[in-house]
Amino acid sequence: MPPVNGTFCVTVMKDRCINTRMPGKCATCVEVCPYDVFAIDGAGSVHVGNYNACVGCRICAEFCPEDAIRINPAESEFLVRSPWTFPQVEEIHYKAQTGEYMLRGFGTMGHAPSFDNITVVPSQIASPAPRDKYREECNLELVIGEDTCENPIRLPYPLLFAAMSFGAVSREARMALAIGAAQTGIISNTGEGGLLKDETWLIKGYENEERTLKRWEPGGHLVVQWSTGRWGVSANFVRAGDGVEIKIGQGAKPGMGGHLLGVKVTEEIAAVRGIPVGSDALSPCRYYDVQDLEDMKRTVAFLRDVTDYKVPILFKLGPSRPYEDVSACVEAGADAISIDGLVGGTGCSPAVVTQGVGIPTVALIPPAVQALKDMGVHRKVKLFVLGGMRSGLDAYKAMAMGADGVGFGAAAEIAMGCRACMACHTGRCPYGITSQDPELRARLDPEEAGQRLANFIKVTAEEIKMLTMLSGHDDIRDLSEEDLRAMDLNTAAITGLKLIGYERRLPWWENGRGA
Amino acid sequence: MSLVLDASGRDLRSVSTELKEAVAKGPVVMHGVVHLHGLVAGFQSGDVTIGGDSGDYLGVLNDGVTIRVTGNAGRYLADNMTRGTVIVEGDAGYGVGQYCYGGTIVVKGNAGDFAAVMNKGAVIIIEGSVGDEVATYMLAGDLVIVGDAGKNLGNYLIRGNIYVGGKWESLGHNTLLEEMTQADLDKLRGYFDEYSIKADAATFKKIVRLSEKPFYKAKEPIQLESPRM
Repeated sequence: MPPVNGTFCVTVMKDRCINTRMPGKCATCVEVCPYDVFAIDGAGSVHVGNYNACVGCRICAEFCPEDAIRINPAESEFLVRSPWTFPQVEEIHYKAQTGEYMLRGFGTMGHAPSFDNITVVPSQIASPAPRDKYREECNLELVIGEDTCENPIRLPYPLLFAAMSFGAVSREARMALAIGAAQTGIISNTGEGGLLKDETWLIKGYENEERTLKRWEPGGHLVVQWSTGRWGVSANFVRAGDGVEIKIGQGAKPGMGGHLLGVKVTEEIAAVRGIPVGSDALSPCRYYDVQDLEDMKRTVAFLRDVTDYKVPILFKLGPSRPYEDVSACVEAGADAISIDGLVGGTGCSPAVVTQGVGIPTVALIPPAVQALKDMGVHRKVKLFVLGGMRSGLDAYKAMAMGADGVGFGAAAEIAMGCRACMACHTGRCPYGITSQDPELRARLDPEEAGQRLANFIKVTAEEIKMLTMLSGHDDIRDLSEEDLRAMDLNTAAITGLKLIGYERRLPWWENGRGA
Repeated sequence: MSLVLDASGRDLRSVSTELKEAVAKGPVVMHGVVHLHGLVAGFQSGDVTIGGDSGDYLGVLNDGVTIRVTGNAGRYLADNMTRGTVIVEGDAGYGVGQYCYGGTIVVKGNAGDFAAVMNKGAVIIIEGSVGDEVATYMLAGDLVIVGDAGKNLGNYLIRGNIYVGGKWESLGHNTLLEEMTQADLDKLRGYFDEYSIKADAATFKKIVRLSEKPFYKAKEPIQLESPRM
């Protein structure tokens, strides 16, 4: 299926192109493009054969030895005919011609209310003085399950990698996530696709199975996912984790189970998941073995029992009714809750669901925090916010609004090398992250990608520290809504933050909570 | 000589901790466990007999233990089992053997709806009848129903075999009635002998998947005909 994700203009600068000067000599672009945008004729001459197929991943530009390729958005003539933009027209053509709906990887496109219209309030004279980022300490630590289990997860930074299953991402990407987590001490989550053997020692920073060569300090934490498809799940799988996450839903497709298209089900994945090679792995949308909240409490109870009451139980929620859902998770016995927003990522999802279902991340936080406060467990049951988090700035804003930490999914993929071309579902990821093709996978070096992930996380933590200290705090737990201001009326209305200039909350937030 | 463990009025954690020590020493007989859900979870070896009825999620994530229930079992019996044997003398509730990767479940009485859903390799034998939506999205393994089945039997079957001795109300999507082979008959007779079930294998019908890939439509890449730039 052709990914009609938008349209790009591929320009080859003939004066630089080696092939133009010497036909038959260089065809790197033909080789690296997984979507056959470039064509080569009998005489060895390369030309742009199929503009429509370009998803804008820019792998050709990256590999071109003469820097001769430019990828730009399509001519504006197609973009200004809103709402009948070129991608929209192509999408209707696709549906009309094939009788099928569009699938898409990665996540939501276009605008949704975000953290962009929130600004951080620095400290001056009226508030506690700012702290010195270079010469003073700031506490970024976060502990999950401190009072409830024997081995709580101690994170040096309030960050985690979101669940990405083996199947949706490649073996190399899973290894890179483990190495990245090992170097920074944060969480890597298996997702629902089972556990890779290598992950169990890589995540602890060991280079070999015998755990004699420790290479990466301090060693990370592996969270295993208990999901609706239960792929590759056994008692040993549950015990292999430093935490067990019960997946209720995800941001990109709340109310639906995991999608793994047949093109990505290779022999290795078929073996882990126990399905025929090449068949779609469509996880159920709900737990067949949970019918009500009482059953969920029992599920938490037996998962604690299987893991000898040692590890925390986490919940992962899609963006639906944050107040009620978070309350239910607390009641079921969660130690931490990850709530994923509309912008959350995915390996594959129907386009309408990715684009149009769920609540934007920024609007999830106030009701979720309110639920924790009303249950009396705010800051005890940890709240992680996921879905479109990009930097330390986003993380800081989420934490000042009351979250305990944030998770990176799409941002982690991008840190590994991804260019957000939104064609993860095709299984032909040019950077080898969401592909199962050996040739494409070879483009991703787990160690290098792991190092990039670690760098990204360390910088993000540094950014959080900087912002925390300039607003006069030395502990991320001291952050509050007072450290933020909404820059427009809409953001002030949905978040309850004080509006810039007005310096007060909007009237219906005055009792401390939304109407 | 079996150890006897009375769980009446006790909570899961204390019973389970004691049980973990007890199974290492020898067979265990338990009483008064009907209020406990998720008992014998994730054990790798041992022999546990439950005197009377059990609660929900009995033997969840079972990885090698043999469990016998002399009464009835609750819902989600042997959920997500990977190895071991679970035998119930009475009836079992909703969702017997969901998500199992292996092992054997034998229910001497009837079982409820949604049994063997997403079964990925276990042998599940129900001597009585079963409810609706049984073996939905089953991926591997055998399901033997000596009695009757309800609606949508084997809905979205991917692989594995369903053997039915009685009648069914309706078959689900992607199912196919297939001739019994000698291998099937031998297999069924083996099961019946092993678990002393009185049934005639020759009267059984076999249901398999219609297509290997019920969701996946292989097709040629499509060239769109809209104007090129």
